[in-house]
Amino acid sequence: MVNSDDLAQLIIGCKSSDSKCFSQIVDMYASRLYGYFYRLTGNKDLSDELLSELFVKLVEKIASYKGGSFEGWLFRIASNIFHDYLRSKQRRKKLLDVHKEQIESEITEQNKSGNEQIDLLEIQLKRMDADTRELIMLRFYSQLSFKEIAKMRSEPIGTTLAKLHRGLKKLRELMQ
Amino acid sequence: MNSQNDENLKELFERFLSAEQAESGVEDIQKAEQILRQHPAPEPDSMLIANIKAEIAMRLPAKRTSTFTKIAYRVAYAAAAIMIITAVSLRTFDMDAPEPGRVQYASIMPTAIWESDDIVTDDVDLAIFTIEIEQIEDELRSLQSGEYISDSDSSLSELEMELVAINNDFWKE
Repeated sequence: MVNSDDLAQLIIGCKSSDSKCFSQIVDMYASRLYGYFYRLTGNKDLSDELLSELFVKLVEKIASYKGGSFEGWLFRIASNIFHDYLRSKQRRKKLLDVHKEQIESEITEQNKSGNEQIDLLEIQLKRMDADTRELIMLRFYSQLSFKEIAKMRSEPIGTTLAKLHRGLKKLRELMQ
Repeated sequence: MNSQNDENLKELFERFLSAEQAESGVEDIQKAEQILRQHPAPEPDSMLIANIKAEIAMRLPAKRTSTFTKIAYRVAYAAAAIMIITAVSLRTFDMDAPEPGRVQYASIMPTAIWESDDIVTDDVDLAIFTIEIEQIEDELRSLQSGEYISDSDSSLSELEMELVAINNDFWKE
């Protein structure tokens, strides 16, 4: 884990269009951001696409980063990209197709060995409402505090805490 | 930097729930997050990461070019604006306008005078400036009314040169 001074230096480098600094940022955050997209879409190809889009946006928007939590800023872009994706009619149709395929293969996947646990979590996550699922994934992959998440979602911290508590409790019950 | 490490979940829950409920809430969250840790999402493909890095590298020089192009456009716009203003000003002097000068001497007033706090010096400068402008106005009126006996083309050229000289002197200050 890079310390905040090193991260600040990397961001300065990115602002000066240094490709090496961007590469380091990609190495640092790609895994978490990919996990976030994958858990929300349940689809590798879409997650690939959204992750690429996110880093392109990063290049375009890095000049507008004015300090504060970089993770918060980055995951806000990720969240916006995911919501844009949901809004797109074509992509929504694609998502529905993906859901259909997932439901059809649900029984088969439950009987699989090896990746069984990964698939089970994915299935249970799909049973939850989209907002709670996104909140859980935001908390888990961004590693932001409740205060930062509440600020990002423009809602009181008590609301965020209650939603996430309810969501995680439900997920725990579903997984047991 | 892990912001979650900086927060005290129990304390946060206790702001909204009783101590007992808060403890249970923290436990719920920790256990559910443990489940998420036990079921990691797949990692991005190394080829995908390489492609992303290549795309970023490709976009960076383009970004620089775009910034350079923007600056070049701004300079071109500014140069075009200066040329248009100069052309309009010259045309105005050539034409038989009834009140030449009033607007023009306001526009060539040096910024230093507008922004300076030295009122005494500025007053003197402004007085000299105004007198010179008035002299030019008088000469222009004389020319228009035909009082000037000398060759009108050369007089106009002299006037123009005088104006340019005054303008340059003030900008040097």
